Amino acid sequence: MAKYVMEFSKTGTICYTSHLDVMRMFKRIFKRAGIPLAYSQGFNPHPKMGFAQPLSLGYEATEEYIEFETQTDWDPNELYERVKAIMADGIDMKYCKPLNENIHKSLSALTEAALYTVSVPLNGQTVDDPQKLADDYLAQEKIITLKKQKKKKEQKEVDIKGMIRRLNFSAKGDTLTMRMLLDQGSTSNLSPELVIATVLPFAGLDTDRSEISVTRDKIIFVDGVEI
Amino acid sequence: MVIDKQLDKILKKVEKPARYIGGEVNSVKKDLKDVKVRVGFAFPDMYEIGMSYMGLQILYNILNKTEGVYCERVFAPATDMEDIMRAEGRELFTLETFTPVKEMDILGFTLQYEMSFTNILNMLDLGAIPVKSADRGEEYPVIVAGGPCAYNPEPLAHFIDMFMVGDGEELFPQIALLKAECSTKQEFLQRCAELDGIYVPSFYDVTYNEDGTIKEYVKLYDKAPDRVKRAVIQSLDDAEFPTENIVPFIDTVHDRCVVETFRGCTRGCRFCQAGMIYRPVRERKPETIKGIVKEQLANTGHDELSLLSLSTSDYSRFEDLAMELMGMCKAQNVALSLPSLRLDSFSFKVLDEIQGYRKSGLTFAPEAGSQRLRDIINKNITEENIYSAVEQAIELGWETIKLYFMDGLPGETYEDLEGIAQIAKNIIDINFKIRGRKGGRFRVTVSVSNFVPKAHTPFQWAAQDRPEVLKEKHNFLSERLRMKGVTFNYHETATSNLEAIIARGDRRVGDMIYRAWQLGCKFDAWTEHHKNELWQQAMEETGATLDFYAYRERSYDEILPWEIIDPRIERSFFERENEKAKAGETTHDCRLGCVGCGMNKHVKCFHGADESRLQKIGKEVSSG
Ligand code: SF4
Repeated sequence: MAKYVMEFSKTGTICYTSHLDVMRMFKRIFKRAGIPLAYSQGFNPHPKMGFAQPLSLGYEATEEYIEFETQTDWDPNELYERVKAIMADGIDMKYCKPLNENIHKSLSALTEAALYTVSVPLNGQTVDDPQKLADDYLAQEKIITLKKQKKKKEQKEVDIKGMIRRLNFSAKGDTLTMRMLLDQGSTSNLSPELVIATVLPFAGLDTDRSEISVTRDKIIFVDGVEI
Repeated sequence: MVIDKQLDKILKKVEKPARYIGGEVNSVKKDLKDVKVRVGFAFPDMYEIGMSYMGLQILYNILNKTEGVYCERVFAPATDMEDIMRAEGRELFTLETFTPVKEMDILGFTLQYEMSFTNILNMLDLGAIPVKSADRGEEYPVIVAGGPCAYNPEPLAHFIDMFMVGDGEELFPQIALLKAECSTKQEFLQRCAELDGIYVPSFYDVTYNEDGTIKEYVKLYDKAPDRVKRAVIQSLDDAEFPTENIVPFIDTVHDRCVVETFRGCTRGCRFCQAGMIYRPVRERKPETIKGIVKEQLANTGHDELSLLSLSTSDYSRFEDLAMELMGMCKAQNVALSLPSLRLDSFSFKVLDEIQGYRKSGLTFAPEAGSQRLRDIINKNITEENIYSAVEQAIELGWETIKLYFMDGLPGETYEDLEGIAQIAKNIIDINFKIRGRKGGRFRVTVSVSNFVPKAHTPFQWAAQDRPEVLKEKHNFLSERLRMKGVTFNYHETATSNLEAIIARGDRRVGDMIYRAWQLGCKFDAWTEHHKNELWQQAMEETGATLDFYAYRERSYDEILPWEIIDPRIERSFFERENEKAKAGETTHDCRLGCVGCGMNKHVKCFHGADESRLQKIGKEVSSG
């Protein structure tokens, strides 16, 4: 048994597939590539593989990770070549390497933050000083919004301020670009959707959500961990 | 694939946008420079339904293997998508290249069930294509349609330029290539009309008698055939079958490898259209099947395999094939599913092995509750067959038994319905006997569907029960099936009556469909979308009455609208079978000897089968 990690990006129409869709696709790709994965034990065995973090439907991503365990040892480059050769358009495999031996948790358990770029077309609206907008927004005492709760109908009020690690706004042409470093992972997790939903009214912008695009640029693991 | 801003915006607003993006593994990309004919293959329902239908994959594969032809897929957008498309002025497009469907040379619809017909009109309209053939000039694609419902094409005659009836493997590529040779639509339709399997409605005029029945068909084009012979391929083994199936991103109804083992059926159930129109039996060889399985698994990465036919265990070399496939699947962690097995000891061995401790329900389709009525419909299954299979099943650990019946069958009485309840009760008792007083979590599900008389069957002349009669029967059954451990389901009567109008409708029924669509009917196969009041209104306004189309028994003298199609089964066979039904006589399975349906005047029956075993299986089936 051996553990590997592959990096990939996701761009174009394939972004309209969900986390589970991509998961299922990878599972099939490994089968087609003739790479037998290790299976979990129990009544309902499933192949040992997983993403560092689920990616929301509709988002692009530049630096995603999938970790998996094979039944036998492989040359990582061979794994990379085989998967790359049959991967669906829009998912670009970057490399494959053995997972750092000192890692005993899943990559998802090691994730603590993620960096996103959000592009907002202004459609003629103006933002005079984008960075000041970001600073003013963060300078609010609380940033309250409604959040969906798991398995419940009613939404819950939350203060997301503490989960925003950094905000950098810039404007070029007719587009406002918001870069945001947000808590991500099992302990504290903030979706860019909640930031978008609170920044726009704060800035007095009325761009429709369907015109806004979101890219996850980077997943950040807990301090010092080398995968 | 990069898409335009407008579509991108639309996709951000809809549910399950992956239904509309194409680009799945094994979907076909072609350089348009090399393409002479572009075909849109349209399935008039949602992506998840259409992608589970093997016929689409078969023809997609064959057309795309034809040089110069590019086949792209089109599905009915869900209502949320449709609303936004209409609001934004976005026309219906193909999934392969996002090209508007009106730019195709041929747009073909597959007709799997009558309740999808309004979706066809809606899809044409969403594609900015005039719905009626008469309103379409040369600038629009030729609209074609095929599939089982094309065996009664008349209700769609106003909307479809040309029907393809019968096996499509040879016919569809042939007409696609012909398209490239023709400079006008008329020329194309005329040349196609000379081929077996092609029906061009505009080449015929229909006149009616005063009582509303058909007087005659008048040919408007000399060379059009008097009756359109359905297309038949002789060798299924030589017919191309896909090995690079498209693998959807999203969950679909069936998401698995599928191989068709044989086509056709020998049993001769008198209500069953599929059992008639796919005759004769033609088998694919075991080596071919195994080869396809191997390649499909390698090319898709699926972890489930299923076999396609009208009755899995009627394949002449079924036992050997099942054993080998079981071995192949086990070695690759693939689940094997074998639908509609005849439950003999071999099948139990197989099922026990492939389902292990995760046993799904066992299914029986006695169709009628008494031997008398089963003889009338020629359904060859006895209660002893069922009970002995149920006993074995319970002993092997099955806990769910599903029973399928029909009500409203010709000659049905309340005693036959009582018989349905009795069968359910006997099965519950068998379980008590084996498992003791408590009986475990054992369940029997009884599903009853309303008989809909279908074209090209011995019951094509029969009257359908009126809704009040069906409702009374349902009430009776609900009452009698109120037993512990039994669940009873039945179908909506209004939908069955509507299905009956369309299934045996003539051209005038097309007006009703058109009006219903105008009133807003679509996705009629989905209970949540089906709008019965609107259909009632459409019937009233267009004069299509249930009395005439659904509840009326036809006489043998009448010209039936679907007889413009020659299924290659003789009318005398249908009449004979209908008379035998009235006399309560059965007709044996034609593996035991030809019963003279007429098919063998055109093709060889049982092509590819191991004939020595056919007899044996036929005998086993007959003796239970
Ligand atoms: S011709 Fe005879 S053997 Fe062939 S399908 Fe008809 S009844 Fe069966």
